Amino acid sequence: MTATRFIGILRKYEKWFGIVALILISAGLYTGLVTSSADYFQGEVVRIMYVHVPFAQTAMLAYSTLFFCSIWYLWKRDAIVDNACHAAAGLALFFTAGGLITGAIWGKPTWNAWWVWDPRLTSFAIMFLTLVGYLMLRTFLDDVEKRATFAAILAIIGFIDLPIIHFSVEWWRSLHQPLSVSTRGVSIAPDMLVPFALMSFGVGILFTYMLMVRTQLLYLEHLLEAKQGRFLSEAEL
Amino acid sequence: MHFFRLIRWIAWKDLLSEYRNRENVSSMFFFALNVILIFSFSFSLDPDTIKEIMPGIIWVAFGFTAIIGLGKSFLIEVNNDCMEYFQTLPGPKGAIYLGKFLGNFLFMLMVEIILFPLFVLFFNLSILDQALPLLLVSSVATFGLSALGTLFSALTVQIRAREVMFPILLLPLSVPIFIGAVEATRGALSGDPFSMYSHWIELLTVFDVIFVVVSFWIFEFILDY
Amino acid sequence: MNAIRGIALSKSFQHYQVLKEVSIEVMQGECYALFGPNGAGKTTLLRIFATLHRPNSGTFEIMGMDGKRERTKVREAIFMIGHGSYLYDDLSVKENIQFAIGIRGWNPSDAEIKKALDQVGIGRFARLRSRYLSAGMKKRLSIAKALLIRPKVLFLDEGYASLDEKGVGMMNECIREFTEAGATVLMTTHNRAVTAEVAHRVGVLTRSVLTEMTVNEMVEADALF
Repeated sequence: MTATRFIGILRKYEKWFGIVALILISAGLYTGLVTSSADYFQGEVVRIMYVHVPFAQTAMLAYSTLFFCSIWYLWKRDAIVDNACHAAAGLALFFTAGGLITGAIWGKPTWNAWWVWDPRLTSFAIMFLTLVGYLMLRTFLDDVEKRATFAAILAIIGFIDLPIIHFSVEWWRSLHQPLSVSTRGVSIAPDMLVPFALMSFGVGILFTYMLMVRTQLLYLEHLLEAKQGRFLSEAEL
Repeated sequence: MHFFRLIRWIAWKDLLSEYRNRENVSSMFFFALNVILIFSFSFSLDPDTIKEIMPGIIWVAFGFTAIIGLGKSFLIEVNNDCMEYFQTLPGPKGAIYLGKFLGNFLFMLMVEIILFPLFVLFFNLSILDQALPLLLVSSVATFGLSALGTLFSALTVQIRAREVMFPILLLPLSVPIFIGAVEATRGALSGDPFSMYSHWIELLTVFDVIFVVVSFWIFEFILDY
Repeated sequence: MNAIRGIALSKSFQHYQVLKEVSIEVMQGECYALFGPNGAGKTTLLRIFATLHRPNSGTFEIMGMDGKRERTKVREAIFMIGHGSYLYDDLSVKENIQFAIGIRGWNPSDAEIKKALDQVGIGRFARLRSRYLSAGMKKRLSIAKALLIRPKVLFLDEGYASLDEKGVGMMNECIREFTEAGATVLMTTHNRAVTAEVAHRVGVLTRSVLTEMTVNEMVEADALF
């Protein structure tokens, strides 16, 4: 598939993703913050879950997208796939940071600590550091193909490492923090399920929409860069 | 088999160069020595505290050593554009990775074996009866650290700010190695029966296998971007 | 038969398009000299043929093998003498040769190495560490490697650079030896008089336009570009 056709498809469908995301998130926020009841144990605090969990899920979705796009790039070496990788990495960083911050805000009142070295939190923190490293690596490489390839390699290695990190921290924690605080999820009451599902899908689709827009933007930047170098071959126009 | 001969050639070249200039091993060793010095002033040295923090000190020192040593391992390949020659080589590129990895692993292990007696000396440890399990732990952990370090060294050596980028990429992803190595070392140092910390060695082994295989496969792309 | 065939090759580096649809054909057993102003893309063209760069568009064949799909086979047929010396500073001249040829899967005998080193005039430096070689001697060492490898296609990037008068004569002898044995040489150069002794055909590359001419036309022209 040529980049032009790919961009065409993105431009045709992107607005629908935007609209659906807007509707789902508005409905989710309304039901989550206004109509749903507070949690029996946690009180009003529980409402941050409607933001935190979707963000964390979407961060995973974004990193998975980055992983598969990276493999795709190494396989096909399409410039636009590299633009998608770049876009997915930036968004993954955004959602990971969002997940970590909302998690800390939620953690303070519930566990009485901003941070605990829980496997999930640690994996996310390392994912955050890897993504920062990924974006730094990109800025330090000038050669377009080298940049795309090296970044893809890093993304793949980091993704494969995540389960091992999760696993090792789980073992480590069982040794050093024997279950003083449980960070396992709360059981979800039925009237919490509706806003939760709305937000989960809403943020996921929001990510898809942002990915579509950002990929196009990065591709245009790439073309502009090339055009400044008096380069715009017929195929790309 | 050309594949194994290629591995041997690369490792031979690294070991011979190192034997002649001793740049890598000596800089790793003296850097680690400095780390030990700083640590010995940073913590109170009563025997109970030492026992508690010793595994951490050992592996922080080894981690820094890895950053110094592994980060430079591909410098010798870019100085005279040897990477370019590797790129135009008809043979299997993964063998180049394995050769470099083998050399790095041996350098690291050598430095660690020299350093252990110094820990004994400076911190009054008794490790003689635990030497074998400690050697096993060090080997398994160093194996994984070298596997990842060799790959990232090749990845960062050709970019700007490589001295910064190498640890920034390596350290977060080697967290499982440090966790496993510290816990297993703690077990070995306190004289626990082997079965009590053998699961950490299993974890490290899994890490080693995964990252040698993945790096071996992905190294081709570093040379042939 | 065509030894090198490039069709509509384009290559750009981020902000700068170096080659735009350049086509070139070199016959087997021919020495083709490429002239052109600095920055015209001569080296880039050579590096594309040497599989060091991927062209943005266009295709090329080396000895009838596709440069994109049959890279490994192409790499078996070619050797490039470029700006990098591909040497390891702490290995001796002889060890460097053994390594460079050994990793291509062949171990030349001591006599063969000595013969090649004598031919390029550095036989008496065989045991010297390559760190102490001058630029000209490093170039001679590269030629010795090419003599041992006997590639079907040889790329010379600024082949005469840093060679003394005797070295240039030796280089031309080697080029003649190659072409008479049926190998193909593609070189970039700025030295018209010396090139005229060995070249069969000449191309001038300016702004991605390749003007071909005979050796006599090249010698007689007032200015090439």
